[in-house]
Amino acid sequence: MLDAKHGGATVASVRDLKVHFQSKRGVVHAVDGVSFDIRDGETLGLVGETGCGKSVTGRSFLRLLPVPPGILAGGSVMFNAHAVCTSCEGTGCETCEGTGRKASQDRSVNLLGIPSEDMRRIRGDRIAMIFQDPGKALNPTLPVGAQIAEVFLQHRTDELIALAGLPADTVGAVRRFASQSPRFGDGWLLSLPGVRAQRRRVEEALATMVAGALAETQVPNPAKLMARYPHELSGGMRQRVMIAQALACNPDLLIADEPTTALDVTVEARILELIRNLQQRRKTSVLYISHDLSLVRRISDRVAVMYAGRIVEIGTTAEVFANPRHPYTRGLMAAVPGADTPRGKLAAIRGTVPELVDPAAACRFCGRCPYETGACRNNDPFLEAITPSHLVACFIDHPAPSGERPSYDRATA
Amino acid sequence: MQLRDYILRRLMVLPVLIIGVSIVVFTLTRVGGSPIGIYLSHEMTPDEVAEIEARFNLDKPVWVQYLYWIRGIAMGDFGWSGVAAAPVADVFPLKLAATMELALASGLVALLLGIALGTYAGARRNRLPDHVTRIVAVSGASLPQFWFGILLLIIFWAQIGIAPIGRSDATIFASIAHPTGLYTVDAILAGSPAAFWDAIWHLVLPSVTLGYGATAIIARMMRSALVEELQQDYVDAARAKGLAERIVLKRHARRNALVPTVTVIGLTFGFLLQGTITVEIIFRWPGLGRWMADSVLRGDQATLMTYVLFTSVLFLVVNLIVDLVYANLDRRVTLGK
Repeated sequence: MLDAKHGGATVASVRDLKVHFQSKRGVVHAVDGVSFDIRDGETLGLVGETGCGKSVTGRSFLRLLPVPPGILAGGSVMFNAHAVCTSCEGTGCETCEGTGRKASQDRSVNLLGIPSEDMRRIRGDRIAMIFQDPGKALNPTLPVGAQIAEVFLQHRTDELIALAGLPADTVGAVRRFASQSPRFGDGWLLSLPGVRAQRRRVEEALATMVAGALAETQVPNPAKLMARYPHELSGGMRQRVMIAQALACNPDLLIADEPTTALDVTVEARILELIRNLQQRRKTSVLYISHDLSLVRRISDRVAVMYAGRIVEIGTTAEVFANPRHPYTRGLMAAVPGADTPRGKLAAIRGTVPELVDPAAACRFCGRCPYETGACRNNDPFLEAITPSHLVACFIDHPAPSGERPSYDRATA
Repeated sequence: MQLRDYILRRLMVLPVLIIGVSIVVFTLTRVGGSPIGIYLSHEMTPDEVAEIEARFNLDKPVWVQYLYWIRGIAMGDFGWSGVAAAPVADVFPLKLAATMELALASGLVALLLGIALGTYAGARRNRLPDHVTRIVAVSGASLPQFWFGILLLIIFWAQIGIAPIGRSDATIFASIAHPTGLYTVDAILAGSPAAFWDAIWHLVLPSVTLGYGATAIIARMMRSALVEELQQDYVDAARAKGLAERIVLKRHARRNALVPTVTVIGLTFGFLLQGTITVEIIFRWPGLGRWMADSVLRGDQATLMTYVLFTSVLFLVVNLIVDLVYANLDRRVTLGK
């Protein structure tokens, strides 16, 4: 399998993922056969331009696709949730980096195949997501504290009841209150004298947990922040709330979908710092989706470059940035302006992203690639290793079936 | 006490509004001619006519008549209703209770049913329940009430003969006291199941006729607002937290979808009030609407002016309530400046 030569557990492996969208002009192959692994505790940067399918890939982990028109056309997303570390029995050792937990193959599930109830139990608990625009991803009509509280109500009912000092076998309206599954008439039941006190204790326990989650993100005065509505907060504060919400249950995998795109640069730096700190402390794996190459280079252990629904190059950050092999990756990197780029001389990749309606069996980069040959137009390159940890989908490094081979020394366009 | 201040400030507009509306109402009704017609009969001599003119101050200049009218209102005298053959102030509360019972019954059902239907359809966009709801809603919004009401009357009263018309059975009406004028409430107060069912039974057809259109308007608004909200990022974010679809829908999407719907609900109130006129005529409901229709036809100006004045105050209060609900649903709305 891919990356097989590298040790360390994988928390998730995507295999041949295909997500299609039904449109009036035909089937759009938004994600068309994507495979990669996310290793335990690493940050994998997923880069590509708008519309290349990186967000859809990220959302597939939570099965958050509009169905219809989004269709999971094939492939699998295997997820290995953390379990107590087998070598140290949870006391903390080297293989689990002191956390006492690591990804466990035994509990491997295919996220695309499990029943939706099981999916729901994973969402927000084992796999969490941070969205691009915290101004839109928070409900404007609820205080932020209540929104974070929902994660605990959904996944931490037992802890909540224990923290409230209630017996573990608490049932009825109070348990339903602590698991956010109200029934008709519960409002009345919970206002009964004896029950009201229990409800108050659950509420207090909940507030403690929410304040704790917020405190993790280094916000000043979490208790006060809880009562605020999203519109009363700055963009940076909102994203901190989103992060607190995502990390509330200490997930094994965090999908960060351009979490700093909507923020200004100074806030961006602090949010990145925060995500990295929290991740390193908890050994959470992160899939960091971004179109910002320099940002991904700073924070990722490995990088996957996506183009037109495919991963065209994947490898460790050092390898990919030191020795980009795919013409698209090279084009992207050349397009990043440096301090010595003269004014008005921004480099760009010519052409635009192709439409992904019923794509032909050819390299997706054809038409934009300066080195393409006839073989590129008739064959579909797939990811092949050039070093044990660096894979490229281009005939430049492994010849096409016809034996033809483009070269960086021979520009054809 | 920001809320109390806001309500008080809004209510302070009331006197100004009443004076403004009263001038418009008075002018407009007087354009239609002198109100004296309603007080006269064919056998009266010129002397008697002059005496009536003097009694109602109709021999004075128009602006003086206006002042007399305003002074009367200030003292609780809204004039004499020729149609009801009684002082307007005496009859108005009884008729108002009848209309309110009808409007509240249909309004409440329209509110609950409209929101429920709209949510149901919006959450199942472009599937069968959505299409069915759309058909129900479009026909509700486009069927004229006078036609729909008469249709119901033909079927359930004339043909099948299970539905009554009017407001209550005469013997049952006489059997209990009517302190509130809302017959259902009166029946509950009197502890009479027979009277209660009689009141409900009489209410069904008129309130279905009246409420159908309002239900349709609310359901359609709710549906489109919900469809829009369900596409927002925060809905996916709520799902990403692992919330059940039921909670995502009710606690997140519906709450936001109610914000634009509340505005429409406020407007629907006017639609209901307007509808009472048709519906009360069709079902012989002894309320304000029918009284107004008769008053228009017979030139009963005192009644008409009272009605319009009352309606404008009612609208102000309804708008105030809508604004308060609005601000409570969406905290981005600030009351006051």
